[in-house]
Amino acid sequence: MASPLRDILRPVRGRLLACIALTVVSTVAGLVPMTGIVELARILLPATSGASIDAGRAWLVVQVSLGALGVRLATILAASWLSHAADLDLSVLLRRSLVARLGRVPLAWFTERSSGQVKKAVQDDVAALHHLVAHSAMELTAAITLPLTVAAYLLSVDVTMALVTCVPLVLGIIGLRISMRGAAELYQTYDRGLAEIGSAAVELVNGITVVKTFGREGRTHRRFTEVAQRFGGFNRDWMRHSALGMLLMELALTPVLTLTLVAVVGALLASRGNLATIDLVPFLVLGLTMTAPVTVAGYAGRELREATGAAQRIQELLATPELPVPATAANPEGGRVELRGVGFAYSPGGRLVLDGISLTLEPGTVTALVGPSGSGKSTLARLLPRFADPTLGSINLGGCDLRSLTSEQLYERVSFVFQETSLLRTSLRDNIRLARPDASDQDVRHAAAAAQILDRLDALPRGLDSVVGEDALLSGGERQRVAIARAILADTPVLVLDEATAAADPESEAQVQQALSTLVAGRTLLVIAHRLSTITGADRIVVLDSGLVAESGTHTDLLAADGLYARLWRADQRAHSEPAHTQTAEVAR
Amino acid sequence: MISVVRMLSTLLDHDGRRRLLRVVATFVATGVLQGLAFAALVPLLVALFTQDWNGVTAWAGALLGLLVAHHVLLTLADLAGYDLACDLLDRTLARLGEHVARLPLGWYDADRTGMVGRMASKGAADISSIPGHLLRPMTAAVVSPVTVVAALLVLEWRLGVALLAGVVLVFAATRLLSVIIGRSEAGYDTAMANGSARVVEFALNQQALRVFGRTVHGNELVEDAFAAQRAASRRMLVTGFGGRGLQLLAVQALLTVVVALSVHLVLGGSLDTATAVGLLVLSVRFVESMVDLGELSSALRIAQGSLRRVLDLLEIAPLPEPAVPATARDGAVEMTDVSFSYDGSTPVLDGVSFTAPARSLTAIVGPSGSGKSTLLRLAARFHDVTSGSVRVGGVDLRDLGTEALMADVSIVFQDVYLFEGTLRDNVLLAAPDADPARLAEAARLARVDDIVARLPHGWETRVGEAGSTLSGGERQRVAICRALLKDASVVLLDEATAALDAENEAAVQEALTALAADRTVIVIAHRLQTVTAADQILVLDGGRIAERGSHADLLAAEGRYRDFWQQRTSAAGWQLVGEPAG
Repeated sequence: MASPLRDILRPVRGRLLACIALTVVSTVAGLVPMTGIVELARILLPATSGASIDAGRAWLVVQVSLGALGVRLATILAASWLSHAADLDLSVLLRRSLVARLGRVPLAWFTERSSGQVKKAVQDDVAALHHLVAHSAMELTAAITLPLTVAAYLLSVDVTMALVTCVPLVLGIIGLRISMRGAAELYQTYDRGLAEIGSAAVELVNGITVVKTFGREGRTHRRFTEVAQRFGGFNRDWMRHSALGMLLMELALTPVLTLTLVAVVGALLASRGNLATIDLVPFLVLGLTMTAPVTVAGYAGRELREATGAAQRIQELLATPELPVPATAANPEGGRVELRGVGFAYSPGGRLVLDGISLTLEPGTVTALVGPSGSGKSTLARLLPRFADPTLGSINLGGCDLRSLTSEQLYERVSFVFQETSLLRTSLRDNIRLARPDASDQDVRHAAAAAQILDRLDALPRGLDSVVGEDALLSGGERQRVAIARAILADTPVLVLDEATAAADPESEAQVQQALSTLVAGRTLLVIAHRLSTITGADRIVVLDSGLVAESGTHTDLLAADGLYARLWRADQRAHSEPAHTQTAEVAR
Repeated sequence: MISVVRMLSTLLDHDGRRRLLRVVATFVATGVLQGLAFAALVPLLVALFTQDWNGVTAWAGALLGLLVAHHVLLTLADLAGYDLACDLLDRTLARLGEHVARLPLGWYDADRTGMVGRMASKGAADISSIPGHLLRPMTAAVVSPVTVVAALLVLEWRLGVALLAGVVLVFAATRLLSVIIGRSEAGYDTAMANGSARVVEFALNQQALRVFGRTVHGNELVEDAFAAQRAASRRMLVTGFGGRGLQLLAVQALLTVVVALSVHLVLGGSLDTATAVGLLVLSVRFVESMVDLGELSSALRIAQGSLRRVLDLLEIAPLPEPAVPATARDGAVEMTDVSFSYDGSTPVLDGVSFTAPARSLTAIVGPSGSGKSTLLRLAARFHDVTSGSVRVGGVDLRDLGTEALMADVSIVFQDVYLFEGTLRDNVLLAAPDADPARLAEAARLARVDDIVARLPHGWETRVGEAGSTLSGGERQRVAICRALLKDASVVLLDEATAALDAENEAAVQEALTALAADRTVIVIAHRLQTVTAADQILVLDGGRIAERGSHADLLAAEGRYRDFWQQRTSAAGWQLVGEPAG
């Protein structure tokens, strides 16, 4: 077995070996009734020539066969139970270790992958091992034990006939080999083709509105058709390429061939006196079991290939480097945040999207990040909760580099509220107390009230027990407020906030605004600002342009400087200008 | 088995059906021949044991004849089956693609996207494996034992009856097994789906989970889901186990009974020994086929499941299309007493009537859940109305037909879809032959030119899932650019709820003005400028139009709209921190 498989299977190796041993026993036990029939024939046949039959012996054979069948039933069930239980344990074990590992890898790992890929690794790849662990070990063992035992027995009866019996097996193997020419590569192409079709179908469905709007000849439909036709063509070529081999295999392995071959050759030999007629019986009874391994090998090859691929992916995932755990525990004091010469590139050696950013967030102050889209505001803000580490320079919290803090230390000090809410499909209570699972009901209710959402939650049939996405169907603004309640309960001294959160749902903008105002009070705040009018009161406004700090200062300072900020401010005012009769509201802004 | 053939034939055209039937008939014939070959063993052995050499020659000849006939038929059927498998794959994919493109737009959601993806890949492959790999062994496993039993009833009726009883028993056990497994499989599938949803959630919410410390102390939700998966697997294992044990037991009991009965009959003298030996050999063959049947049935069940799902999808009726599409007079949009319900009981829209004259701007406002999006979706015929009618240019959408409607409507909804391809491809989708000047003008109006300037490869930057991702506001600008290029008289627009910064807001506003210049625009309005600029405002509440009129009229009416306006203007003056800067 390939080595990735051996490593993955190590935890269940003992049980798999036991299962293999049991399978050997069950295979041999399964042959006993067959040889029993041969024995019966030997006992009964003299009667044809008028001799007497040893009835007691005949019944003994029947009883032994019956006992062997019992053994077979017991061992086959035991082996199957063992292998399935091993599979159960292994899959839970692997899934747990995968999830545990993924909780410790750098976040960037997740940004580089879709959630679908993560799901595939944790669920589908582990499931791909099922057949291997639960079935293939037994099947392969039986497929090897069976023909070897039978061949040995048949050879002891008659060598010529034994060789004749092997002819279909040999033909079947030849057929299999012909049909599998270049199969490794073809299977890869086939799997790629299937994946391509799947994604073309997803694209077709996702883009269906566009497809319809731009006519039936829309490009996705065409693309799907092209991909489907290409795959169909490949499939047909492959089928033609392997048809001859498959046909040969089928023809060789049908029981009719073995049966006829054994019967006709046996009859010929018997008529010439080269074979005792009674010796034909074992070949007719057992000969047909010889061909089973070819069919199994055909199936097992593919299973094994898939399982090996899956095992390899699982191992790679389990070997993903974790975020380094600090060797010595840091001891941060106070909540001052200092950025020193921070630079950031998405890939090592790539373009710096942030460069030379130095900035201090004094405890309890508000710092606003503004700048045109693509200037690096969000990227910078995301470094603070350590969604990524700076490529250059460092970020210190309470005098310690973020990288020297443990996860606990960090999450006790920094939280965030972004535009995209992250509610889990669980009770509202558990969603709110995500950071403090032991928080009392009173604390949860208090936070919900502060976030302007308690009344709405209480109005739900099951109140705080309602499950998000099931009986708690919340609007965008309501979800925002639950996320805000969560941050209020987490109560960290430092908070990173995306101002756009406030406007994410126009229907409940005012309530979200109020909740945010409650949340930010008294915290060290770093806010990504889109609408400049919301942050004119910030202690410091940092204007980013192409990853560099262009300006920084208070609103008044910056307006006076008449630089980038002043230009952005004027654009903001223009964009939000109202028709004449609402000018009063405008002036107040 | 028969149901699978019937299901397959609904997927095929007339010619394909005929070929399928021919293949199946040939497989049945090979099964019969195989059964006869088994049965021929008995007289051959009898002749051998009684040294009747003429009989031996005759039966050996018969056996050879059966072999030749069997192999010729099998070759023909196999080759035809391979061919049919290829056709079936092509046809399944083609029909899926075609049908999916004709389903009501409202049918699609995220779950269904994945489902169609799986159907087109694994599902189609499963289906094509039926004639290629499953049909022959299945047919053989059923037909040849039946033939053997029939032959036995003629040769030695007592053993025949015993075998027949055995067959019924084994078939019943197999049937029972698949019912039991099917039931626990459903529970297993649900547990797996839940587990997968949790893993996806785990991946998607990784930031929050970490910031709030949930990856440090273990993630109960994922853990619980895995535990549930394990429990469901175990249940499936236990039930499947009982079933499989039962099946094996039935098969082995059958063999035992036959052997014991043979011995009994021989010892009693009512069965001659040569025949008995022949019959014993025959019984072994027979039992082997029964074991095959058990193993094949699970493969068949999987393929059958895929087949069922594809057929179910193909059975969903597309929106009816008119035989002769009518022509819209102009771009006016009119709803008359429109009611609509997604589930047939809870009305989402209830008696909505309004007219949006050609080249006018209609703004829709209202709380979430009031039916705004549904109204827009009905105008684009994502669904047909439950009652009432929607007209464009005086023609009911159902008489206009999807193609004509789509030619006349531009849709800019929140979830803007970008294809894998360059930004240029995505924009030019609307008008592949647009000259550079027109493209530049549309790009300028929608402020896509700014995006082009920002991207590393400009217009040639690859966007879409695998390419550079644009922000929500930017995607909406691309969609508006498409709409500007498209020569449609109606524009349906949902102003993005994703927060727009000053840059994007200005762009969207300018583009909207440009769009509205010579088109009918119906917009779910979130921005105050849009409502004030509208020719008419519809205030939706609980699926009904609560108020309608111009901004000035509605403000004066001091109703819901006025509340809405006041709330929004005060929200617009909100400051996160500090004193107003005056």
